[in-house]
Amino acid sequence: MRWTGKIRFLLLAPAVIWVLAFTVFPLGYSLYLAFYKIEQKVEIKREKEVILDADGKPVLDDNGQPRTKNVVIKEQVNIATFIGLDNFKRLFSDPQVAEAIRVTLLFVLIAVPVELALGFLLAVLFNQHIFGRPVLRTVMILPIFATPLAVGYTFFTIFYEVGGPLAWTGIPFLSNPNWALISVILVDVWQWTPFCFLVFLAALQGVPDELYEAARVDGASAMDMLREVMLPLLVPTIIIVLLLRMAEALKLFDIPFALTGGGPGVATQPFSLLAFRTGLRFFDLGYASAMAYALLIVVMIVVTLFFRRLRMNYD
Amino acid sequence: MTDRGPGSKSGWGEVIASLIAVTVALIFAFPIYWAFSQSLRNPLDTYTVAGLGVPWINFTPTLDNWIDQLGTPETGMALYNSTVISISAAILALVLGTPAAYAIARFRFARWSNRDITIWFLSQRVLPPVATVIPFYLTMRYLGLLDTKFALILINATFVLPYVVVILRQTFLDLPVELEEAAMIDGAGHWGAFWRIAVPLAAPSMAAAGLIIFAFTWNEFLFAVSIGSSKAITVPVHIAGAIDTRGVQFWFMGVRAMTAIIPPVIIALIAQRYIVRGLTLGAVRG
Repeated sequence: MRWTGKIRFLLLAPAVIWVLAFTVFPLGYSLYLAFYKIEQKVEIKREKEVILDADGKPVLDDNGQPRTKNVVIKEQVNIATFIGLDNFKRLFSDPQVAEAIRVTLLFVLIAVPVELALGFLLAVLFNQHIFGRPVLRTVMILPIFATPLAVGYTFFTIFYEVGGPLAWTGIPFLSNPNWALISVILVDVWQWTPFCFLVFLAALQGVPDELYEAARVDGASAMDMLREVMLPLLVPTIIIVLLLRMAEALKLFDIPFALTGGGPGVATQPFSLLAFRTGLRFFDLGYASAMAYALLIVVMIVVTLFFRRLRMNYD
Repeated sequence: MTDRGPGSKSGWGEVIASLIAVTVALIFAFPIYWAFSQSLRNPLDTYTVAGLGVPWINFTPTLDNWIDQLGTPETGMALYNSTVISISAAILALVLGTPAAYAIARFRFARWSNRDITIWFLSQRVLPPVATVIPFYLTMRYLGLLDTKFALILINATFVLPYVVVILRQTFLDLPVELEEAAMIDGAGHWGAFWRIAVPLAAPSMAAAGLIIFAFTWNEFLFAVSIGSSKAITVPVHIAGAIDTRGVQFWFMGVRAMTAIIPPVIIALIAQRYIVRGLTLGAVRG
């Protein structure tokens, strides 16, 4: 049963216009910027300014001329030069970009599967009648909603190599490039395994009891039950969680910003942190826009796969 | 509740599983506990405290850091800014998103199917924000809105709008349509049915969605650090400022991390029932 009253457009329009204004317009603007080289220069001009007294009248010197002082005027000027595809070409030869891609890919390909696997194991384990489950479910909500930036800095103090709670391990958590990336992954795993756990648990709890009963009557072992009953029923949920986590992981920004600052060197600088710095710290806006677009294209590919799968849920 | 799942355990199995549950819970709670423990230490104790840093056992706790940090005008301003921005963005997103969700749930759109409209809203959520941050920054600079709460309210409302649309669409679908039809037979019209029947019934769900998106805005950092520089500092940006030339001051960091983490976490616990649906953009019903 679906109505067709004209009011439907009035109800829908504000939200659509809003989103168009604040995402589609910036995206268009960003595409335009990507074809330009934008240089910010501070132009300094020196001018003589007449000194005024309290009444607003010029102060005169001994010769009866108005006295002047030198004033320095700083003006920020943007110079935009059209350079066609040069920004995009530069992406391919920039070692920082290559490193950022490596970091991002390693991060996504390690962190996301680990989170899914751990979350799945925990969900299967605690799908049963266990006294700790409500406690665990409550505790697991904390990491998901803890401010990522605060989490990053908290882990900075935990991984602190002199006197931190893990210092006894002797592991160079933040000073060794490989360990630093592992540390970033560990923090992400801490924050997002609970998400996978909660979603899988919700899906498992939705499995009707009769299915377990039937399998048990048939003499299925625990392993059989997992393989034959739970896994097939959970596949749609697993795919959704996988794609959601991948799309989010590609945006990785807050945790390395706080935990490692992208370092040591650029060993943990993901793509979005590089684009942010290029654009809003070094103000190479055109090049940063090209970077952002490159990321956008990759995310779009993931997202297209994602939505093809997701569409079925919104009929 | 009955036993369920593979190898429903009893006796020792139950004990072992419970032990694992406790261990896992402790591991996942540890970092937050650690931030709290840091916040209670004297600067001198920061690097010398042994073991797990238990107050009274490993060191003498003090509230000085809390008093010191909460007393500074910067902390007060950051908390105030974050609260104003998060509440405003949540209200704005609810005002824009609720009618849209209702339209998608109850009306038939011909040119673009209802499903495509939903997906379109969702796709906004998956876009990498770093792709829009530069043009948004430039636009706000052009409009003279850099370092204002207003700019951050605008952008955060945009980010959380898809959640509102998706969560409330499902809520409206779950409501019995007969009530609205009855109201319209009584001459209420579509707007009356929406405003006087559907919205009050959806109010709990709207409140939950509002809480979840409040938490998202509270935690947002990329736009906050790009737009805010001195006046419109939010809590996460304020945290990033706890680093100065002397390095990270762990004891203050502990306080700031706790003030950032506590509000969204409390909110999440209140809205627990809606979290799975909210976080999976309605794809999984928890």
